[in-house]
Amino acid sequence: MESDTERIAHGLRQKNVAVLEKLVEEYQYRLVRYLVSLLGRRDGVDDLVQETWLRVLERGASYDGRSRFEPWLFRVARNIALDAMRKPPMFSLDSDEEDIFRSSPASSEPSPYALAARTQDAERLAHSLEALETAFREALMLRFQEDLSLQEISAIVRAPVSTVASRIYRGLAMLRPQFEGEPE
Amino acid sequence: MNLNLHEGFQRLIDETLAGTISAEKQKSLREHLSTCVPCQEYLSVSNRVIAGLSGFSFEVNPALNAKVLAALRLQARQVSSAQPHRLQLMRQRIVEYKVGPAFAVALLLSIVGSASVYEVATHLLHFDKEQVRTDVLIFWLLPSLCATFMSARHA
Repeated sequence: MESDTERIAHGLRQKNVAVLEKLVEEYQYRLVRYLVSLLGRRDGVDDLVQETWLRVLERGASYDGRSRFEPWLFRVARNIALDAMRKPPMFSLDSDEEDIFRSSPASSEPSPYALAARTQDAERLAHSLEALETAFREALMLRFQEDLSLQEISAIVRAPVSTVASRIYRGLAMLRPQFEGEPE
Repeated sequence: MNLNLHEGFQRLIDETLAGTISAEKQKSLREHLSTCVPCQEYLSVSNRVIAGLSGFSFEVNPALNAKVLAALRLQARQVSSAQPHRLQLMRQRIVEYKVGPAFAVALLLSIVGSASVYEVATHLLHFDKEQVRTDVLIFWLLPSLCATFMSARHA
């Protein structure tokens, strides 16, 4: 009997629009949330989301259905975001990925985290999260918001599992001072 | 207070949260946590950070889904309309690839067939050579050559 992921893989191989429509309904919000974490801003995310789904339609045959769909989707989105960030002439071709995300131009928009905070704890984290380096923020969000395993995150960011673990430890260490020495 | 001991257990708390801790270490951490207040606080603060990370809710542009779905449908239609053209090209290539050898075989068969009929009629059945040559040319060689050329043109 075909599993859900195999059904998705089969649908993507056939370029089945009905399957894609279901995937858009199911994963759109998480895709937006991941791209905001990656870019640290809200503007431009909608275009990247659309580009990601078109890439899924075009290259969906490369998803084999043996692992969960969302890490594969996030990896596609990450590659597209990376390509989009490489486009402006201010970046040299030999810049590494982290440099590219780090040097993304500051937006005049208010912080996406401040706008999205729905709890008091989230409000307190909003500013620190925005100031956090992309690699740490991305690792934290993938682990604790998207609930991905270290192996899955490692495949998305193309870094060893030990590096991902270290980014999570360091990211947590940078956010802890927001709550230290205060009652719950 | 043994700082190194606490740092070691706090590292284990990080590993637990990241999902990398072994069952054995987890047991020892549980035992330590039951008596150590600083490490309990460390865990509590870490859990607050994680809870805080889950406290964001991003607004998705309500028109985004419709925009994405429209783009996907358009792209899928373009892909499927390009498909028959691609199939046609592929078929044409296969036909071109096969026509040459098929034509050569048919031509060879018609010549060899004519020669064989001529040999049988003149040597075994002792028919008049001139008459056999004309008959073979009219009833065998010319029709088979015409059929070969016509089938090649049709392909």
